[in-house]
Amino acid sequence: MTQALFRRNLAWAAARARDDRNYFPDLAAQEAPDYLWIGCADSHLPAHDLTGLAPGQLFVHRNLANLAPAQDSNFLSVLQYALEVLKVRHVIVCGHYGCGGVRAALSGARHGLVDHWLQPVRSLFWRHAEELEAILDVEARVNHLCEHNVIEQVISLAGNPLAHDAWRRGQPLAVHGWIYSIHDGLLRDLETTVSDLHQARALAGAPTGGEPRRKAARTRS
Amino acid sequence: MKQTTEIEEVPMELLAEPLDWFFAEHYRHRQLCQMIDEISAATVFDGERIGRVVAFLAHDLALHVIDEEEDFFPLLRRRCRPEDEVEGVLGMLSAEHRADVAKASQVSDLLKTCLLKETAPGLDPARRKILSEFASQERRHLGLENAVILPIARLRLDADDLATLGRRLAARRGRVLHEPSA
Repeated sequence: MTQALFRRNLAWAAARARDDRNYFPDLAAQEAPDYLWIGCADSHLPAHDLTGLAPGQLFVHRNLANLAPAQDSNFLSVLQYALEVLKVRHVIVCGHYGCGGVRAALSGARHGLVDHWLQPVRSLFWRHAEELEAILDVEARVNHLCEHNVIEQVISLAGNPLAHDAWRRGQPLAVHGWIYSIHDGLLRDLETTVSDLHQARALAGAPTGGEPRRKAARTRS
Repeated sequence: MKQTTEIEEVPMELLAEPLDWFFAEHYRHRQLCQMIDEISAATVFDGERIGRVVAFLAHDLALHVIDEEEDFFPLLRRRCRPEDEVEGVLGMLSAEHRADVAKASQVSDLLKTCLLKETAPGLDPARRKILSEFASQERRHLGLENAVILPIARLRLDADDLATLGRRLAARRGRVLHEPSA
């Protein structure tokens, strides 16, 4: 069965080489990407398709429910490499509506080891329970929690020492929270962009005397 | 000869004015309800009109639910203020969307059966009941959206919000609305 994948791979590589003889040389010669993309393992659309970028122009990290956990060595290694070696200028947390991980966290049912991974999402639901329970439809509730989850990951990144180090070094860095729908393939900006230490502190809840976080961070897509 | 309702097309230029687009779309959905009522009352089979309703439910209604559930409503949730008390209404409308989609699937199935058998749905009281329930449910829903949601949206969404919303509505329909040059 997997032999079919090798046959498809041959056909794909041949088609690329036939259509554009520079496709693979260009890919190999590409400079470091400007973007780190933190997406969901369960998402159906590749990040470079969504953004119209070539595959090498995004550095991609994916896990269940697009989390940015400050204790996960896999994620931290990716983040450190992206910030310190590749020197990406944008970190994008991108969730998707209808996320299976978020749905599982919301269900309250026991799924095994994954429940531990999804515990932060469950806690997030508890924190926003009043608001979320006003949404009677389960799908709409899942979607709203998907948005909250993206924003929460941006907050976590805004408080991450690796990001703080980058800003202290004077490195240009913006952290964004986006979401897309599998039904239309369109990205939505959740307006949580932070691009300096001051905004990061405000977003993480530190007293700065600045504007409220969502309003202050409001950008357009 | 009895006048029959048709579902009008919305001019694509209206995509640049998304709230007017939604209002016009709601009007088309009312025309759909009227058409369903007429089909339900008719005892003569009209395959062409039944086919138009089936197509509308499959494409236009489905797209409209995505427009609202995964774009317009989330944007409103971000923009509305606590005193707008919009959460409860949006929560209820989302539940109604889900019920509409389920009911629309039931309506669509029964109409497809009628198309296959070339029978008028109005001849069967059980089918008439399903059609009439869908139309009533849909009308109530549209009334609430027009009376509550669109006025709040006019108040809370600014020009940039409307421009980006319009661009996404257009993209969903395979069109690109270009940003006005500065």
